[in-house]
Amino acid sequence: MPELYYNPLINFLLMQHVDISTITLLLLFPVIVTVVVVLRQIVGIQAFGIYTPSIITLAFVFIGQQRWSDIKYAIMVYVTVLCVGMMMRYVLKKLRLLYLPRVAITLTVVSFSVLAILAFGGSMGRTGFASAPIFPILIIIMLVEKFVTVQIEKGSRTAIILAVETLFIALVGYTILSPTTIIGKTFISFTLIHTWVVLLIIPINLFIGKWTGLRLSEYLRFRDVIKKIQ
Amino acid sequence: MFMLFSASKKILGMNARNLTYIRPNNRKKAKRLADEKITSKKLLKKAGVPVPRLIAQISSRRTLENFDWTILPPSFVLKPNRGLGGDGIIVVYGRKKGSTDTWVRSNGKPITITDLKMHIGHILDGEFSLSGTPDFAFFEERLKLSKEFRPYAYRGIPDIRVIVYNKVPVMAMLRLPTKESDGKANLQQGGIGVGIDMARGITTTAVQGKSRIVEYVPDTRLLLSGIKIPYWDEILHLAIKSQIASGLGYLGADIAIDRDNGPVILELNARPGLSIQVANLAGLKRRLERVEGLKINTIARGIAVGKNLFGGEIEEELESVSGKSVIGPVEKVEIIGIANKKITTQAKIDTGAYSTSIDTELARELGFGPTIDSFAKIDLTEFGEVTEKGLGIGKKIEKKYGSRIPHLIETSVTWSSSGVTIRPIVKLTFVMDKKSITTKVNIVDRSDLKYNMIIGKRNLGKFLVDVSK
Repeated sequence: MPELYYNPLINFLLMQHVDISTITLLLLFPVIVTVVVVLRQIVGIQAFGIYTPSIITLAFVFIGQQRWSDIKYAIMVYVTVLCVGMMMRYVLKKLRLLYLPRVAITLTVVSFSVLAILAFGGSMGRTGFASAPIFPILIIIMLVEKFVTVQIEKGSRTAIILAVETLFIALVGYTILSPTTIIGKTFISFTLIHTWVVLLIIPINLFIGKWTGLRLSEYLRFRDVIKKIQ
Repeated sequence: MFMLFSASKKILGMNARNLTYIRPNNRKKAKRLADEKITSKKLLKKAGVPVPRLIAQISSRRTLENFDWTILPPSFVLKPNRGLGGDGIIVVYGRKKGSTDTWVRSNGKPITITDLKMHIGHILDGEFSLSGTPDFAFFEERLKLSKEFRPYAYRGIPDIRVIVYNKVPVMAMLRLPTKESDGKANLQQGGIGVGIDMARGITTTAVQGKSRIVEYVPDTRLLLSGIKIPYWDEILHLAIKSQIASGLGYLGADIAIDRDNGPVILELNARPGLSIQVANLAGLKRRLERVEGLKINTIARGIAVGKNLFGGEIEEELESVSGKSVIGPVEKVEIIGIANKKITTQAKIDTGAYSTSIDTELARELGFGPTIDSFAKIDLTEFGEVTEKGLGIGKKIEKKYGSRIPHLIETSVTWSSSGVTIRPIVKLTFVMDKKSITTKVNIVDRSDLKYNMIIGKRNLGKFLVDVSK
């Protein structure tokens, strides 16, 4: 419903019957991406590129739209996907399959595993889990492709580290942007009122794009060099 | 906080590397070239840069089926063209005795033509290349471990990574394969990176993995510092030459030393890692800034600039750690004799000798002439036969003549390869490497020797001797 204090743009969209959650998610997405950029470029958390952490964050926000605690289902799916992805690497290694069929088999097993935990959740009386929206869950499942690629290129250890970092980024993003957290709620109503402020993201990224300083993680990595130089 | 900020101006981080150095300097074409091993090998060879010899290349199933296996030498390496992190590489040490189709791998296991065919099939299918794109396989000559590195390397071959920017070698490290890295010289996999002093090619500090500082080769008491890299100038030369040939403005050249052929280029990297800074305990950013925009016309000039700007750190470092100064096997010395007479000469540093000796002639110039003359007048036979037990003779001479011979402090009885000598000892002061030392020195005839002064252990307490200097 249009509100008096919303930005005219938002009210216009609402009057054209655009769903409010569509509007908020579309406005949130650039912010999510920027959060990922800051965590990667300035803090130095690597994670799986920019797309995967962003889309996973979005999936988390979507799953946790109703209740804040629903995030635990998202995390459960995430962890399952990683465990199965990892296990399948060792199972399929000996078969020496081409890349795409190998991912397809892994995805199949992941799907069945998710079905299994959904059934398990249902039987435990966790109806919230059983009725969780499917598209965000599918998005999380697709993470397995990225995971397998990194596993092949850089080994399981790196893949696990990157997966944990991705989860961390998604949780930070969720805390800032989910409508069920206080920060998130404030932020969303702020964007609905001062929509144009979201465009500040462009100058912020112009700055980060030209920034050549050390990342926070690099201060740790080069601590011995820093000690020596001073 | 301010201190951290100043450190960040000297250290090269990921952001600065990508934005300031790789992006503007390494064009896409050149980068692709570095990623494809066969292409870069051919290009380097054309430019006259030595590379491991290419034995054969297999680019399709058909060439694989028709491949003539008899052309393979007893030992070789099989590699994927676009392999990552050393994956998919098979190293073969030799033919199995009495067999034409079986070889022995580096891990001791046998491998047959059928096995090789299967492995090449997987390479062609892209098993080891980035996200499964089809690839080529190739055989190349196997490098042999040079004897200098034998004690330091676990299985594989160590290599030397040199970062070259604007035709100047700015930083280098020796990469050693370890048990932890499974014979690969890759730092991320647990290999050791040892920093190298650019001026002299001698190792300094070391890191294992990404940021663990180490001093010794794991499980041994072998020091990682002080290793002299053989062919150092040639290595720098090759690194610069390969930069020019590749068209990369900023690159990391990996150079291995073959037992028979000396240094060869193993690989070129368009995005060399940053851990080299931890191995050297030095920042790369400041070094790159100092080199930027310099006009370097020849390779020799590039080497000279790199050595001048980024060398000599070991000495300062040792000196600051130990409080001792580093000297070479021959040093310039200023001797202060009688009546403040000063003479400068070249002295040999002899850690095998206990005390310091000077030549008779030099002693005369310093004003010890009367000492020598009156010492020569002593009839040594009156003290009887000089035997190994006769250490007391010196004391007897001192007692009897000490007061009559000017400047005589003691006498020394020395057994050496040339027999027994009894030498007069005088006291003097000499200055070496800005340190003044007052000591007893013995006078002996060194006229047939190259240096008229040797400095023995007793006077070397304030110094460290670097034999390569």
